[in-house]
Amino acid sequence: MIQKKICMVGVYAVGKTCLVQHFVTGIFSVKYLSTVGVKIDRKRVRVGEEDVTLMLWDLEGRDALVDVNSSYVKGAHGVMYVADGTRPETVIAINGLRDMVEDTVGNIPSIIAFNKTDLTEQWAISAASESSAGGEDMRRVRTSAKTGDGVESAFQWLAEQTMAPKGGAQ
Amino acid sequence: MNPESPEHSTNGTDRVAEFDALRRLLVGPEQSKIEELSEEIQSRQPSAEELADKLPEAIALRGSRDDQLGRALGPTIDIALRESIRRDPQEMATAIFPVLGPAIRKAIAETMAGLVHSINAAVEQSLSVNGIKWRVEAWRTGVPYPDIVIKRALVYRVEQAFLVHSETGLLLEHVSAPDLSMPDADLISSMLTAIQDFVRDSFKPGEGAMLRTFSVGDHTVQVEAGPRASLAVVIRGNAPESVLRKQQDALETVHMEFATPLADFTGDSTPFLPTRPLLEGCLETVLTTSKQKHPNAWMKWAIPLALVVAIAAAFWIRSTVRWNRALNALRDEPGLVVVDASRNFGSWKISGLRDPIARDPASVLAGIGMTQTLTGKWEGYLSLDPVLVRARARASIDSLKQSVESDKILFAAGSADLDAAGIAKLTSIANRYRRLEDEAAGAGSAASVELIGRTDPSGADETNAALADRRVQTVSRWFESSGIPTSHIAPRAIAAAQPIAAPDSATQARVNRSVSFRVRFSPVRNQDGAAR
Repeated sequence: MIQKKICMVGVYAVGKTCLVQHFVTGIFSVKYLSTVGVKIDRKRVRVGEEDVTLMLWDLEGRDALVDVNSSYVKGAHGVMYVADGTRPETVIAINGLRDMVEDTVGNIPSIIAFNKTDLTEQWAISAASESSAGGEDMRRVRTSAKTGDGVESAFQWLAEQTMAPKGGAQ
Repeated sequence: MNPESPEHSTNGTDRVAEFDALRRLLVGPEQSKIEELSEEIQSRQPSAEELADKLPEAIALRGSRDDQLGRALGPTIDIALRESIRRDPQEMATAIFPVLGPAIRKAIAETMAGLVHSINAAVEQSLSVNGIKWRVEAWRTGVPYPDIVIKRALVYRVEQAFLVHSETGLLLEHVSAPDLSMPDADLISSMLTAIQDFVRDSFKPGEGAMLRTFSVGDHTVQVEAGPRASLAVVIRGNAPESVLRKQQDALETVHMEFATPLADFTGDSTPFLPTRPLLEGCLETVLTTSKQKHPNAWMKWAIPLALVVAIAAAFWIRSTVRWNRALNALRDEPGLVVVDASRNFGSWKISGLRDPIARDPASVLAGIGMTQTLTGKWEGYLSLDPVLVRARARASIDSLKQSVESDKILFAAGSADLDAAGIAKLTSIANRYRRLEDEAAGAGSAASVELIGRTDPSGADETNAALADRRVQTVSRWFESSGIPTSHIAPRAIAAAQPIAAPDSATQARVNRSVSFRVRFSPVRNQDGAAR
């Protein structure tokens, strides 16, 4: 059985928890986030011939600032940064989060999910800041936890990247 | 050079000098090159590449000769180790972890061995008093039997074991007690790791410190961490120290045997399937107190013991019945008196008195269907048992009858006179017959004797008949004169009618010139008849 540790990182209330809620199997309640600072869920995907179990570590900053516990990122195989499309500051926070992740585990497959695409009226991210978020070679997707748009494909892409040989495309 | 007179115009030395000059002219540059090369070869050191090729062989060669190499390298290795540990202590700790742990624990275990003991009992104690009680309780309450046992008798139970990759928190392998199913072991594994991190980050303990145990209700989670993997066990009840030792052993074995898969782990847990037996070795269920031990120990033997006793009793009863039957048969047998009887492991010793004409004891037993070998001694005696007395009398009468009938009185040809031998024989026969008559009377029958007179075949029949008659009369008279009543004598002259057979005619003629005897018996009619 192949398992991969995936960290879901983002500042407070960007919708990480909602993002995974409908797509994963979990036994721990949301309150873990506020107590332990992490909630772990499981998502099964298929990559080629292999079934891959993604262990999703949903990491929550303790306040609006970048304060994710770096211990939880140790050994991660992939990371999903989550930003709230209606709050530009959550996109900026990703740069700081990315530094923390790379300091801890180095360069691992990463993706940014711009969440809440269903709220088109309130979308507040400029095309320029969207396309530059997280650095040049970052993969970016728009997702909606409400409609489910882009969520599956984001996990699928991340799973495939973690399964690719080392030094593979990112 | 002058070609005409070379040997006249120059001496030897000149010529050598000339040749040298010539050589310098012709091969001068090459020669200096050769000299340079040879110098280089002389002073040349082996290249790093050549050294690399030869080094292992050279070390082995020197090492086999003496200890110099080891002595020379010793200080360098010391420095290298010191430097390596100074730079990265974790690396060295990881390397020696599998070796150091068991060594330390072994030393401790030896000291503690005398103090440590734990009580083990199996779940399958269905025959014990408690077992039956619990079954009734399970049946009455509808709670599964194993749950009742655990509730009533559990000392502790190691229910689950998680082998967790330290860095990622991913589950490498998981085992649980047969009646537990744990579909979310992978989530728990990750969460355990997260909680470890949480506790460490929250309380900032010293280097390497960690959350080792935590308890919820009657469950305890005991975590043993190694450099690359941790082993967490979930225990119900109060586990002794031995559980932790098992856990440590298992974890060290995993580190030793799975060092490469652990180091190379990228999420594929397949290589860790073979750790299952190791983890299962950590699971155990230990039940109940010593109170239960006694009835159990007893119960364990009760059934086989009862069986053995029952079989022995059956054998004993059967053998006793046989023995009594045999003794009764021997006691009832006329002419046998049992004086002493004993038996021992199938061998029967019976001694007593036996009338010579009584049946053999073994045939008495054979008569009631027993083939038993008897030891013991039978002394002879005369039984007064009426059966035996009669039998003995009959035997005596029979023997006298035979003795009388086997004799005959022989006569000379043409004669009816007794010679001396004839007289002696006839006296003896008459005596025997009289005894026979007495004994027959005692046995309740009257005897009579038939005197059969014969002649040889020669001569006329009338003559022979007369001769036979005379011979019978001679014997008859003798019998009468011996006191045998005439009425008991039946003369019968048959002459040559039914001759006695003999091998040759001479003998036949001789034995037929005779009177022979046949004894007959008839029941006694009355006292008068017998007397008269």
